[in-house]
Parts: sequence; C-alpha cells; structure tokens
Amino acid sequence: MTVPKARAVAAGSRRRGLSSRDSLVLLLLAVPGIAWFLVFAYGPMVGLVVAFKAFNIRDGIFGSPWNGLANFRYFLTSGDAATIVFNTVFLNALFLGASLFAGLVLALMLNEIRGGPYRRFMQSVIFFPYFVSPIVISIMLQVILSGVGGRGGLVNNLLSIVDLPQVSWYTEPGAWPWILTIVKVWQLGGYTSVIFLAAITSISEEVYEAAALDGASRWRMALSITVPLLLPTFAVLVVLGVGRMFFGDFATIYAIVQDNGVLFPTTDVIDTYVFRSLRMIGDFGTTAAIGLFQSVVGFVFVAAAVMVQRRFQKESSIL
Amino acid sequence: MRLTRRHFMALSSAAGLATAFPGLAPAFGASSGTSVALLPSQAPTGWKTVLDKANAKLMEEHGFTFDAQFINWSNYAQQSLLKFTAGAQFDTALQALWLNMAQLQQSGALADLTGQIDKWPNLKKQIAPKLIEANTWGGKLWGIPQVNSAGRIQHFGIRQDLADKLGFPEINDFETLERFFYAVKEKESGVTPFALASQTGWQTAVATPTGLFNQHSWENPYTMQYSLAGSGLRFYFDKDAAKTGSSRPIPWWDDAGTVEALRKIRQYYQDGIINADGLNVDQATIESQFGAGRFAGLWSITDGLQSNRLAGLKKAVPTAALGQVLPFGGPLGSVKPVQTFQADNMIVVNANGGDVDRAMALQDWFSVQENHDLVGLGIEGTDWKPVGEHSFEQLSTYSFPSYAILWRAGLERLTSSMTESEKKAFGWAQDYDNFELDTFASFIADVTPVKEAAAQMNNVMTQYANPLFYGVGDVDAGLDKLKKAADAAGLDVIMTELTKQGDAYLKARAS
Repeated sequence: MTVPKARAVAAGSRRRGLSSRDSLVLLLLAVPGIAWFLVFAYGPMVGLVVAFKAFNIRDGIFGSPWNGLANFRYFLTSGDAATIVFNTVFLNALFLGASLFAGLVLALMLNEIRGGPYRRFMQSVIFFPYFVSPIVISIMLQVILSGVGGRGGLVNNLLSIVDLPQVSWYTEPGAWPWILTIVKVWQLGGYTSVIFLAAITSISEEVYEAAALDGASRWRMALSITVPLLLPTFAVLVVLGVGRMFFGDFATIYAIVQDNGVLFPTTDVIDTYVFRSLRMIGDFGTTAAIGLFQSVVGFVFVAAAVMVQRRFQKESSIL
Repeated sequence: MRLTRRHFMALSSAAGLATAFPGLAPAFGASSGTSVALLPSQAPTGWKTVLDKANAKLMEEHGFTFDAQFINWSNYAQQSLLKFTAGAQFDTALQALWLNMAQLQQSGALADLTGQIDKWPNLKKQIAPKLIEANTWGGKLWGIPQVNSAGRIQHFGIRQDLADKLGFPEINDFETLERFFYAVKEKESGVTPFALASQTGWQTAVATPTGLFNQHSWENPYTMQYSLAGSGLRFYFDKDAAKTGSSRPIPWWDDAGTVEALRKIRQYYQDGIINADGLNVDQATIESQFGAGRFAGLWSITDGLQSNRLAGLKKAVPTAALGQVLPFGGPLGSVKPVQTFQADNMIVVNANGGDVDRAMALQDWFSVQENHDLVGLGIEGTDWKPVGEHSFEQLSTYSFPSYAILWRAGLERLTSSMTESEKKAFGWAQDYDNFELDTFASFIADVTPVKEAAAQMNNVMTQYANPLFYGVGDVDAGLDKLKKAADAAGLDVIMTELTKQGDAYLKARAS
C-alpha cells in the first residue's frame, strides 16, 4: 500500500518532533489514568468468569464449578424478556433524546442572557436537580402525583380546578414513560446544557460578528451558526448515551417505581428485573451473566452508533 | 502510659508464649483482637463513648474488644452477602431467613455453633431451650437467636383516643375493628383509618398464622406460612401432615380465607379505609405520617417497641393514646396460635475468618444485665435511667439496634412509656406456653434445585401478587394473571421439590 507523501512527511515530522524525554513525560502523565482503568475497569473484568460458574460462597469465584451458559438461561427464557428489553431501550432512548434536546435548548437560551450574575444564577438553578438524590425525587413525585395516603396530590388538585377527573397515577402504567422522561429532563437538562454552553464558548466571536454585519437576527444566528457547530458535541453525547442505554438507569427507576407491580408493563427494565428477582436468591453467577449480556449489547450499540456517526460526520467521530 | 523497655519485653514474651502454646491462651482471656460484627442501621449518637466504656470492660474481662460495622438497612442484605463472599474479616453478622441465611448456610459460609451455647453460662441462662430447639436446622445450630418474645404476632396498632371517642373502647374481634375503621372514615376528616406500607403487604392476607384482614385466620390461627428463599412464593404444608406423613404443600392463594381477604382489601381500598399508595410508600414514611396524626392504625408486631410511637404522636396530637388489637376472635388466651419459634434475627459466625470462641464470648458478655444495658441503652444517667426493676426512661437519642445482636428476652427493659395494652400483649407473647409449635417449625427450604424458578417466582409475586395485597385492581382478574404467571415461572417444579423436601423433613422428624 502506498502512503501519500504529504501524510508520511507529516507523520515523520511528528515522530521527529517528540523526543524520548517528551514521550516519557507524557507516559508519566498518563500513568494515573492507565492505573485507574487497570484497577477499576479492566481488573474487575476477571470477575466475569462468575457468569459461567455455579457460584458458591465457600469456594469463591475461582473454586466454584463451571456451568456453561446456564446462568444466561434464567433471563433469556423468562417470558418477560422481550418486554423488559423493549422497556430498557425505549425508556432510555426517551431519556437520552429528551435530555439532550432540553440541554441544547437551555444552552441556547442561557447563551442569549446577557446579564452575567443573572445568567450564573439561572445556570445554578437549572443545574441543581442533578444533585438531588433519586430517593428525594421519588418522595417529591409522590407528593405531587398522589398526595398523603395516595388520594389527591398537586397534579390532581390542578385537574380538579379545570373540572378534569383525578388520576390514580401510581396505577396507570401508560403514563409512566412520560412521567419518568419529565423527571429525567428536570434532572439532566441543566447538566447537559452546561456541556453545550462550554462548546458554545469555543465558537469564534468573529463568526457571529460576520453574521451581524450580514444583518442576521439572534434567532437566525442561533439556528444557522450555534446549532450546526454544536452538532459534533451533540453526536459525542449521543454515542456516550447509547453505550449506557442498555443499563436501564436503575437508580432513578427503582427509587421511583419500587415494587409497584402495576407499573411494570411500562417501567420494568433489565436492571430492576434482575435486582428484584435475585435480591433474595443472592446468585452472583446469574447477576454477572446479565451484566455481561448488558455490556456486550451496550458495546454493539456503541459500535453501531460510532459507525453511523463516521458515516455522516466523520470529522467529529470519537473513534 | 509510657511503654518502657521492660513493658515491651514483658508484652513480647507474653505474645511469644501465646503463639507458641495456644493452649495457654485462655489464661489471657477467651480470645484477643477485635470482634467485628456487621450490623444493620447506623451508629447511634454517642456510640464512641459507649463503645470505649464497653471495650474497657470487655478487654478486662475477656481480653478482646468489640467493633461494629454499621450498614444502612437498604443495602444490608447485599453488602453483608458481598462481605461473606469477598472473604472479609469479621466475626459475626445479623442474618435471617428473610435475608440470606439459608443460602449462606447451604454454601458453607456459616460456622456450626452446635453445642456452643452450653459452654457459655450467661448465654445459656438467657436462651430458652425451646428457642434453641426451634432454631436448629437438621440437628445443627447455625446462629444465636435474637428474640425478646416467644411468638411474634402481627396485629393492629390503633389510636385508642379515637376508638374511645367513637365508641369502641375495647376491640376484640374483626367486625368491631372494621366498624371502628368505617367510623373513622365517616367522622374523622383527614384521617385514613389504616396505613399499609410497601414490602409488608403480603401480611394483609397471608396467614402467619393470622393475616391482618384474613378473617378466617382470626378464628383459625393454626396454619403457618413458609417461604421459598426468604420471600417470593409463600406456601403452606398440610395441617395434618404429622398424622398422614405427607407434607402436601399448597401456594398461599389456595389456603382457606385468603381469597376472601383479598376481596376485603379491595373493598377497603375502594372505600378509602386503607391508603391508596401502599405499593409505593415505605414504612418510615408511614410511621412519620402516623406520628403526624394522619392515620388511625398501622401494622404492629409483638416486640414491645410499639409504644415508642406515642411520644412523637403526642407532639402532633397531645391527647393521643395508643392501643393494640391482636387478631384473634376473642380475648388473649382464648386461642393458642401456631408458631415456629424461629427467630427473625440470628447472629451468625463467619466460617471463613471469624473466631467462634470470641464471637460466643461476646454473646455471653451481652447476656449479663449490666453489659446488655450499657451497649443496648447507652450510659446510665446520660442516655437512660432505670424506672422500677425492669423499665427505663430514655434521656438521649441513643438508639442501638439491639435486635441485631443482643436481644435477650429476660434482660430487656421495657420503656416506661409502654401502654397497658402493649404490656398485656407483650407479656402474653413472651410465654412459650401460649403457642403451639408448628409441625414444620424447623423446616428450611433448599432453593438450589429450583433456583431459576424461584428467582422468576420472586418477580411474579412482586408484579402480580403485590397489587392484590394492597387492593389495587380487580381480585378475580388479578388472581387469574397471578396463577398463569406462576405456572409459567415453574410453580409445578417448585411444588414438586417442596413436597420432596417436606416429606423428607417429616420422615427425619419421625425417626
């Protein structure tokens, strides 16, 4: 294969430009990161062998006997697998799409605020929900949706004011994908907007000045300059989000839905299903098998998302 | 104290001798080091002061110290299991059938404590032989039972002030209790008659030996539910199994009175007698709402701690009073309910890294009134003061999870605020002779052969049975879905296995 001359020269000069001392410094800089990944990401992967073992507490991970793919059978042969996989993907796609969209819109709006202190105040206010624990969110939601004793609640009071019938929210599975999405937008919208705001600050002021000279309004500048230049950031966040899509957002969903079986048809995701069925059985082999399954599917999702991104926006691809 | 060269030489020699001749160790105390216990809940306020004082005494008497690793209740089951799995160094942990005790025992993670109690005089004095007998599995003891009463009967804690006001000064039967609830609904605006919390819903209908709203079980408290793997499927063995030699297990929904109880619960849900958010609201929230005067009754158990609610409740409702309604069709003593005498809480010893002698020495040390009071109630005069011979008044917010490691029926002090009604119920529950021992009292299901079906059954119960226990949804349609899902999850396989294990238990018991 022939290497184009210009690229070969450039590569050669980069190699020549990096002394062995520089390489050593860079390597030293990377050591904490590499160590972190080795200890916390790659090291624990050894434990994945449990997924193929009939785990016994006394014999431990390596002493327990092998049992092939038996641990995978529990989830895949359960009659609920299809619903649960659908819920996992559907809910997380909703969460990802809605929180990214909300973050983008909030970033554009915040960017238009000229007063520094007011902008910083608003930024803090919309960022705050990110720090609220899912347990606190679940309590707030109960007060808002069902009130003390499960009869009433703020939303139902509002419905009564406009002569609409009250809804027993905690027994209506159809509403919950949307309720959970609203919660996620409230929780993550501000956080995502900060990432977009950071990307906006890197857009050159000269571009906006040129647009202003051409008579563009703020709205036109946002649509024709800011949004297109934010797309690479948007794409990276999508790829990262897609990789986590199969992990179901256990903390939020379990804290809010808990063991309310009535809501499972639309809210039960892989993690909540596994936690519920195995918490008393305490079988680490099956739990590890589900975790491995999620990771493999997550990897496939990420690979697919990256391929799509490279197809349409190669220059911003993360791989 | 300054460590001189002479002190150092003396200590080194002592350590060397102890290492070289382990048989000499008792001369220095039962064990050395620190006995670590895994306990649920949080470290109480003032814990360090109490622990320092306890350890000074413990070191002097036994030559070792005690430490507790407190793990939040919400994580306790998983965290404690992981610590056993990871080979962590600790002596004891709270375990229970509703946690992971059966799994730990079946996988050899627990030290065999058979015959150990006899070696420790203080402990032996405080643990009733019937309790040891009932908590012995297959002839072996795997944990030290922690109980403060003989039988634990779930019942109703009610607002006695409301009962008096509405004309129900004494409630001894189901119909009167029901009339009280409807009277509250009708006449006490803003008060829900009865509060149900999540996680415990099955106790509304499943007889243990009574179900809260299972009227049949009120009259016939003679069937005891057993569970597979701590929760999930609850089932009953045949009442006449001892005579017939055949265990013939049935799932809970086939037991007499259960379906009627589900219909009753549904009616209560629709009529506003019970809260509509039982599926979602946790016990702590229910307790705080009860304390704010929002409910007229809530789930209680005969553990002598139910009157503790009164102080908080009186802040919101100064005239409030509490009463206990036990679920029997007559006064206490008119029936003899079955019990297993199996302890809800057990202290187990870690087989891989735990020190049995040290763990037992600690249990023995806790079985002395002075030590029991110190760790359980805190510093006398600062955290509590004695009232009479067996009661105490709380002076601080010190709150140690005694139930998890040092409950001894004979050493428990009653709170001075205990209501007369609870004193009566608790006193009755402390006497073993007031109960009948169930035929399968020591039966523990081995879930291993049906692990997959059991795991799926856990899900089935949560998804389809829980709504029925809280009155959410139509009973017939709900039961139909539940039975279909249970069949698909492998009910037949589980029942066949339970029959096999139940019959084997009967055979072993007879021989």
